[in-house]
Amino acid sequence: MKNFEYITAQSPASAAALLGENGRYLAGGVDLLGEMKEYIVSPPRVVNVKTIPGSAGESLRDGSLRLGANTTLAAIAASERIQELAPAVAEAAAEVGSPQIRNVATLGGNLAQHSRCWYYRQRDVTCLKKGGNTCYGREGENKYLSIFSGNPCVSPIVSNLAVALAAIDARVSVYRKNRETELTIPELYEDAWDNPLAQNSLKPGDLITSVTIPSGPGKSTYLQMSEKSDFDWALVSCAVFSKFQDGKVSGARIALGCIAPVPLIAEEAGRFLEGKVLDESTAAQAAELALAKATPLAHNGYKVPIAKALIRRSLLKLRA
Amino acid sequence: MSNWPTQTEFLGKNTPRLEGAAKVTGAAKYSSDQQPEGWLYAMILRSKWPSAIIRSINLEKAKASAGIKAVAAVKDGERHVRYYGEELAAVAGTSKQACLDALRLIEVDATPQPFVVDPVEAIKPDAPKVFSDAPNLGEAKLKEEGDIAAAFAKCDVIVEGEFSTQVQIHHPLETHGNTIHVKDDACTAWASTQGIFSVRDGLSGNLNIPQNRVRVITEFMGGGFGAKFGPGVEGSLAAKLSRETGLPVKLMLTRFDESLAVGNRPSSYQKIKLGSDKEGKLLAFDLDAFGSAGFASGGSSAGGGGGAGFPAPYIYKIPNIRAKHAGVAINAGSSRAFRAPGHPQGSFGMESILDDLAVKLGLDPVDIRLKNDPFEIRQKEYAIGREKFGWAQKYRKPGSSPGPIKTGVGVAGATWGGGGKGTKAQATINPDGTVEVRCGTQDLGTGAKTVVALVAAEVFGIPPEKIAAKIGDTDFPASGGSGGSTTTASVSPAIFDVCTKALKELQTLSGVADARGANFESACRKLGMQPVVMQGEWIEGLSSSGAGGVQFAEVEVDTETGFVKVKKILVVQDCGLVVNRLTAESQVNGGVITGLGYALYEQRVMDAQTGVCLNPNFETYKLPGAADIPDIEIVLLDMPERGVIGLGEPVVIPTASAVANAVANAIGVRINSLPITPDKVLAALGLVPPRAASVSEDLETSFAAVEDAHAVAGDFTEDVPV
Repeated sequence: MKNFEYITAQSPASAAALLGENGRYLAGGVDLLGEMKEYIVSPPRVVNVKTIPGSAGESLRDGSLRLGANTTLAAIAASERIQELAPAVAEAAAEVGSPQIRNVATLGGNLAQHSRCWYYRQRDVTCLKKGGNTCYGREGENKYLSIFSGNPCVSPIVSNLAVALAAIDARVSVYRKNRETELTIPELYEDAWDNPLAQNSLKPGDLITSVTIPSGPGKSTYLQMSEKSDFDWALVSCAVFSKFQDGKVSGARIALGCIAPVPLIAEEAGRFLEGKVLDESTAAQAAELALAKATPLAHNGYKVPIAKALIRRSLLKLRA
Repeated sequence: MSNWPTQTEFLGKNTPRLEGAAKVTGAAKYSSDQQPEGWLYAMILRSKWPSAIIRSINLEKAKASAGIKAVAAVKDGERHVRYYGEELAAVAGTSKQACLDALRLIEVDATPQPFVVDPVEAIKPDAPKVFSDAPNLGEAKLKEEGDIAAAFAKCDVIVEGEFSTQVQIHHPLETHGNTIHVKDDACTAWASTQGIFSVRDGLSGNLNIPQNRVRVITEFMGGGFGAKFGPGVEGSLAAKLSRETGLPVKLMLTRFDESLAVGNRPSSYQKIKLGSDKEGKLLAFDLDAFGSAGFASGGSSAGGGGGAGFPAPYIYKIPNIRAKHAGVAINAGSSRAFRAPGHPQGSFGMESILDDLAVKLGLDPVDIRLKNDPFEIRQKEYAIGREKFGWAQKYRKPGSSPGPIKTGVGVAGATWGGGGKGTKAQATINPDGTVEVRCGTQDLGTGAKTVVALVAAEVFGIPPEKIAAKIGDTDFPASGGSGGSTTTASVSPAIFDVCTKALKELQTLSGVADARGANFESACRKLGMQPVVMQGEWIEGLSSSGAGGVQFAEVEVDTETGFVKVKKILVVQDCGLVVNRLTAESQVNGGVITGLGYALYEQRVMDAQTGVCLNPNFETYKLPGAADIPDIEIVLLDMPERGVIGLGEPVVIPTASAVANAVANAIGVRINSLPITPDKVLAALGLVPPRAASVSEDLETSFAAVEDAHAVAGDFTEDVPV
């Protein structure tokens, strides 16, 4: 990596003020340092936001649970309160990387992480997402890439937490232009759907400060499938949430990761389930609806059956 | 018959590695840990192009960069680089950051050339040529025995299949590299190598310094798997930079470097036709095959080896054979010998089609092997394994396991030489009852140092802790490279010889008739001031070769997600006399894990559009992790009467074949390509739209080109560097 200035911020305001042009925030550093080592980004200044007072840990507020952006994934996975209130979130955190990674990786960093597409991460390839002219993934080795995209780039979002938080409809607080702004998960990522250069909707200087898990009834769960048993990226990830009234589905949300530039919310499948009893048949129909509009490339059609299986299994797990 | 003692005190027991504590506490100093006074850090600039004419390299700005003490180009003048990652130049400086910054200041004037990274594409007549003066498809080798046309006409059953195996990277956890100090026309190198003497000779040649002024030290090293025999380009560059500065230079490759330029297991594409009578007796075998060892096999630093050929029809006796194989050049890093070169490829094709034949005949896969495998030891192993594994209870008709998660079992066999010779050693018995044994071998992770101490301990009848085993230094009596599973079979007899002679001398000088064991120390005290110093060497009668092994695999396949989970691997393996059970079993575990990586996870991915490697890291080049390792049960066939036989290589061979057969047994469909990833499983199950017809057509065209290719008579030969 290139040499850089390193400054520690004491508050979101000081972090934003210190960032300067092309600076980057550093929390766990899992994603940023990888990009810097491969010369994908070379920020002249790195602002340490990890030690901002009060930026880690969980707190209850009006029944909903606020998680500081610097809460580690290990802490989220181990939190009994999260396991109870939003098991999908704890399960998603537990599936990230290895214990070593989860011990340093943060919630904010997981949400704001950049593309893991192997063309994007290749130091000597200038792909569309890096400002080049071509998305090599479209015609090339696209096994791990998207089966849905609103733009020529087919790099998928791979944040486990984004998928889980999308399902439970969490809110993300972002420090933006001297004030806290609250975004939904779809809002946090929508720019990446149609803009190949966007990793998410964050603007330069934006800093994720916390995530709020809503209060209220409902069950959630998260499943992913990887090529290896552990310490591997998901091929497809899936989180589902639903309330139940008299055993019938109410307000179901199905979110999928690693198959689109944004966490894909299967709205039609959710609507289909409204008022139905979850069983093999309704779960399978929901899965079919969720994937009906997929447009797989030459090497990633296999993600369709995996996504369907995960939707079916997670819905049935929710029922249990 | 071997001359080893029939009753042993230390041999064949479970002795932990003597250096184990040093390794796990970090006290053991590897090549990369060496920090001689004034040492410089060095790094390599590599080609960004898969093929290019390098017109010139301007190192001036790099040389003037802060902290940089020396720069060096790999070659002067215009040259053609033929793969992404080929070495261009190196810098040495006072820190890693200084080197990283300097590398970016090197200006390379290059004219990119057309390239091809896919062997199937490379065979096409209009493909870019890797070498302008030679076709990409090389001359084929053809083995013919009997008359296959007549034999196939008589076969009751014929099966045909196409199989492919991927490029696997060695990826030792310690990367390639050296710390080298050239000063006053002498050279000391701390090398991460499996051949200290071949590194010494290589550096001597490169530097034009006599061999007696070059010393290579490898006390500890973190794996090589066949890719670490010579100094390599990285060693030559480190030596050059050290000579220029007079300072020690440490040049260890990065994981990125390791992925590109220091060897791999070549790919293979195999079109096989196999026929038998109705009892399953094999009658005819026909093979057209090709594979790629990269832009060139071997490479100057590889010590030979590493072509793309493989043994066929592997371990089976078939009276009528036609086997044709050709190598294909592509713009990618070249292969090197990789733990049992050729065998895993040959095993996968043959063991797969043999199971297909068994299914067609309604025969049990173990029975068809017993019927066609001529090797007596494997016959015994199949019988032991079948019983121990519970094969009769576990084997069922392919695809008949109920539910979405299906279980299956598979079996495969392997052969390897594993003999060795040529080691010399020295033993010193001190008057205080301690012993020092010196041998110029090296421990590439197999436990060689512990083996040296154990054999000495056995001869003297004293605990191994009393023996100072000194290895990994070219100042010691010469031994060969640690390749071909030859080390233990080469070293143990030499230690036995030198210690036996030393004991005899001790007995003569001390007048103690039996100086072993309890008498050893008192006999030594009678030596007075003079230690016993004795030379010895490898002798006949203590080692042999020809190891057989079989493996049984049990898997679970999730037919909805394509996920394969290996539940159990049973290894039944022969290695003659077991010198140390713990380290022998450790070798087996390591071989099985590498075999699992080959079966399910590992694969170098090259991009046809840009010619670069897309997974030069452990994030997307997937190695098995702890959670992926099944229950590995090991049965070593103790046959001390055969003497010592190496086992590092045979145990890596049949794992992938056994797993592939188990997957086919579970789902009732054959996955004919390694690694067996979820996408392939789902495709085989018909859950994914079939691949484009052009893909199969291209493959057929390639096989046809091999069939038509000019051939010379010849068979696969293990070109194992030792």
